[in-house]
Amino acid sequence: MTYRATHVTRHIYEEPVAQSVNELRLTPRDYGRQHVREFDVQVEPEPALWRTRRDWFGNEVTTFSIFEPHDRFTVTATSIVEVEPARVGVLPTVRWEEARDILSAGTEDASLEASEYIYDSPFVAATPDLAAFAKPVFEPGRPLVEALEELSRKIHREFEYAPKSTSIDMPLAEVLENRRGVCQDFSHVMIGALRSLRLAARYVSGYLRSGANYQGAEASHAWVAAFVPGAGWLHFDPTNDMVPSDGHVTLAWGRDYSDVTPVKGVTLGGGAQLVEVAVRVVPA
Amino acid sequence: MNKSKPVAPRSKWEEFRYRPVPGHWDEALHPSGFPRRHWRGLATAVGRMGFAQFTRSWHVGQQLIQANGVTYNVGGDPAGKERPWPMDPIPLVVPPAEWTAIERAVAQRATLLNAMLHDLYGAQRLVKDRHLPAALVFANPHFQRSCYGLSPVGGVPLQTYAVDLARSPDGRWWALGDRTQAPSGIGYALENRLVSARILPGVFNQCHVRALTRFFDTKRNSLLALAPSRRDSPRVVLLTPGPHNETYFEHSFLAGHWGFPLVEGADLTVRDSRVFLKTLSGLEPVDVILRRMDDAFCDPLELRGDSLLGVPGLMQAVRNGAVAVDNAIGSGVLETPGLMAFLPGLCRLLLGEELLLPSVATWWCGQPEPRRYVYEHLDQLVIKPAFRKYGLHPEFPAQMSKAARENLIQRIEAQPELFVAQEMVALSTVPVRTEKGLVPRHAGLRVFAARDGQSYAVMPGGLTRVAGESSSVVAMQLGAGSKDTWVLEDHEEPAPAVRPSILVRAGRTSLPSRVADNLFWLGRYAERVDSGVRLVRSLLPALSGEEDFGRAASMETVVQLLTGLRFLPENAPELPLGQQRWHLQKLLSGLIYDSARMGGLGWNLKQMRRSAWNLKERLSSDTWRVLQQLEADLARTPPVNPDQRLTAQITLLDGVVVTLAAFSGLVMENMTRGHGFRFLDLGRRLERALQITDLLRAGIVEAPPETDGHLQLLLHVADSTITYRTRNLTMLRADLVLDLLLCDETNPRSVGMQLSALRDHVDELPEHAEIGRHSIEQRLALKALTAVRLAEVAPLTRRDAEGNLGPLGDLLASLKTDLFDLSQALTAQYLSHLQTARLRSSD
Repeated sequence: MTYRATHVTRHIYEEPVAQSVNELRLTPRDYGRQHVREFDVQVEPEPALWRTRRDWFGNEVTTFSIFEPHDRFTVTATSIVEVEPARVGVLPTVRWEEARDILSAGTEDASLEASEYIYDSPFVAATPDLAAFAKPVFEPGRPLVEALEELSRKIHREFEYAPKSTSIDMPLAEVLENRRGVCQDFSHVMIGALRSLRLAARYVSGYLRSGANYQGAEASHAWVAAFVPGAGWLHFDPTNDMVPSDGHVTLAWGRDYSDVTPVKGVTLGGGAQLVEVAVRVVPA
Repeated sequence: MNKSKPVAPRSKWEEFRYRPVPGHWDEALHPSGFPRRHWRGLATAVGRMGFAQFTRSWHVGQQLIQANGVTYNVGGDPAGKERPWPMDPIPLVVPPAEWTAIERAVAQRATLLNAMLHDLYGAQRLVKDRHLPAALVFANPHFQRSCYGLSPVGGVPLQTYAVDLARSPDGRWWALGDRTQAPSGIGYALENRLVSARILPGVFNQCHVRALTRFFDTKRNSLLALAPSRRDSPRVVLLTPGPHNETYFEHSFLAGHWGFPLVEGADLTVRDSRVFLKTLSGLEPVDVILRRMDDAFCDPLELRGDSLLGVPGLMQAVRNGAVAVDNAIGSGVLETPGLMAFLPGLCRLLLGEELLLPSVATWWCGQPEPRRYVYEHLDQLVIKPAFRKYGLHPEFPAQMSKAARENLIQRIEAQPELFVAQEMVALSTVPVRTEKGLVPRHAGLRVFAARDGQSYAVMPGGLTRVAGESSSVVAMQLGAGSKDTWVLEDHEEPAPAVRPSILVRAGRTSLPSRVADNLFWLGRYAERVDSGVRLVRSLLPALSGEEDFGRAASMETVVQLLTGLRFLPENAPELPLGQQRWHLQKLLSGLIYDSARMGGLGWNLKQMRRSAWNLKERLSSDTWRVLQQLEADLARTPPVNPDQRLTAQITLLDGVVVTLAAFSGLVMENMTRGHGFRFLDLGRRLERALQITDLLRAGIVEAPPETDGHLQLLLHVADSTITYRTRNLTMLRADLVLDLLLCDETNPRSVGMQLSALRDHVDELPEHAEIGRHSIEQRLALKALTAVRLAEVAPLTRRDAEGNLGPLGDLLASLKTDLFDLSQALTAQYLSHLQTARLRSSD
């Protein structure tokens, strides 16, 4: 499937912003079954200096500064990206305990690299509560993939999808206790639960195809990838209880939201602000 | 030296009553109680002094510390919670041979850590080839992913290094911890040296102690050499988190010592991937940043977003190779106790050498075998976080209940990579002076190294820190003390040829905007304190009931003036005399003693001190001493007896006026007449003009007509009584008083003189208006000055049919508006970019 994705972010400030320094992670990733045909980003007001680089996780980062006073700020990212459906094949039957031990040993290069994602990160730290949440799913000897699917389903079933119910800085413990949140929170819960069992999980930011009856379309979305020895990183979308295929466009991945924030900046001045985000992903 | 005669016969050494603790290595004495060879010089000299004389010398030392304002912030409150630096007069003495070994070992350790940094932020061979467990990097919150792939300017990420050493009972030195991001202490070490050389001058000279100055010159030169573009006069800045930081004293001390501007994050800006300093004359490029800020705070955009102390975009400038940072951002990853277990192997691997300085025995729980050892030997070990984290403390299983031990084991099992176990080190002891004599306390030695060309130079000395009573933990934050460290010169060998140190010139820097801002407010608050004291002082006699015509004003006049100045409620003049007196007493006590009362003397003084503290490196120690005197004056508690209180208040205020005059005098005498002085004086002049304008309104426009009392009080408060009398021997006349206080540009307290000075200063500020046009500030200053020059005092003081002075009221009101606008315009033009930054993020 080939999509045209348009992602508009607009900030309107109460008082003028004297200057700002910014970082974008809006370029879709080119990997495996996803290929980026075109990418373009426009910023208003006119930025002073553009640079792009790759971060530690391999995401493309665009940085720029604005030095003219402004009271609104708009970023429009457009891309044409092709996504192949996930191959349905024979899934490895590795048991979750084996996967855990392989990650801890880190003998293979792939598992050594993946082991980075079993440790605490700025927004997601392992806790006994998260371990307790995961425990009923991870019965002894259960195949990892089966358990991952069920954990994703459990979050979908037990958590209420409540847009605007959380802010980015709502602590994970609170999300777990209130059993409500948005895609970001659901992903963090799943990652945290897996890390509490010493399994490797990462945060994926991206888009959902518009029009389908999904939670989280028309805005930027987030889901989870878990490391399965022998198969690599498998994706799970706990918000929609599904395995992402050609309806999900991947922007960036990292340990949690803080590694992949799509639009981030430091401003001087500005006061209160309004933020509007609109995402449109349609067949090209 | 002194090989055969240890302690001189007439020694009073016994007076010191020093008895080391058995079982620990004592730095000064052999187990027999006989001084160690390298301590004999010191012990002899101190013994000759006797305890009483030694104590007298020590008091001099403490005064020096006070006077130099050497402090260590514990609570981090810039408004005055910083404690005097705790220093003990007896230095730690290290013999030459032992020092040579330490020096080599420390330089080797720095070389090793530098090589590790290179690898961790580069090829990561150590991890990929399994020489270092990946968890020590990946689970390490101090591994800064943004720094990955950055090659530091000059290729040496570790420029400054410190290591904490301790000596075990067998006499060996061990490394307890490495400091690799922004080690603190060299400034305090130098201060300790200045004090110890002053209090023990004779001994210091006899002992041939190695000097520290060359190390400081070396460090300064290597900082200048770090500049990426080989400019003739590179600009180096010292980046501080600000006055709240516990070692802020040291930041300002070092900046002053080296002559580098002390800057905070908001003083710097990144444009076009280059770093600039915001100054009054515009943006000036910065080549080298010596940072005293932890990694995570350096750039709120790419590093920790919840703190805005740093410089947004700094990482991009570093990536661009446009600025050198000492130490490279990310170097905090090495301050990881978990790494210590791997250093001997890494030293063999990376340097092909045996590690000369052993670390305290460390087991990292992230690996199964060491973890098993830890469980089996829990009682002999101390458990620490594998990665340094503020607020996490060592745990001692031996002292734990069974439940607590089980809880600890569970926590280790859940996330073993987060824990290390270390052997408990029996630290050596040093003599520390107390009122009862010398007592043994545990001590540690922080040694500093700086990159110098192809190797590391080690400072011949260090910061010796001593634990509190019955404590074996040495940490300044836990309230420990410090000592100077005397490394003795080697007499066996000829002294090494002194390499002449060539001092490279640092680039001259215009006044940073933040400094101008602080000077401006220092001026304003100093003047507020001054006018406040003068006001209160002239009112006090009325309260005492003195009705002496020449000096004191009547209660009625005083109440009216204070009501006019909005200090007393509007209905105060109508109240019965008794209540008026009560109100007055309450107001005056509040103004004088209540430092929380906004606008009171104490409050203004606190603000003045806050501005001054931000300028510490720019104020002379004399100026600083005067400020401390002021604070001490006003911190006195009021006497309980009301009569005594009044006398005490008058004496106190008289004292404060004189101290303030000393402050002004020092500033006038010692400050060069650049923009710095200009901003300080702008603040003072502006404030004084505002105060006198207000006084004129309350004392003439709003006062009842035809009363001499008001005019007299007015002259008194404005300190112009004598001038008035010398010029006009006749009776008091409103027009003459107005002339003297408003128009007379020769009277240092007139509005006119302030305005004329303001106009001159504003004309000298860096230009930003088009050539030949007046800036807003110039227009405002000129407008106010012209209004005063054109004022005719006779018609202005002639009352209308209702007895009002409408035109004078209007004139004063318009002056006040102009002065406020001028202050705003100055801020907008020169100081405004000091806005606070904020982080925004969105999906």
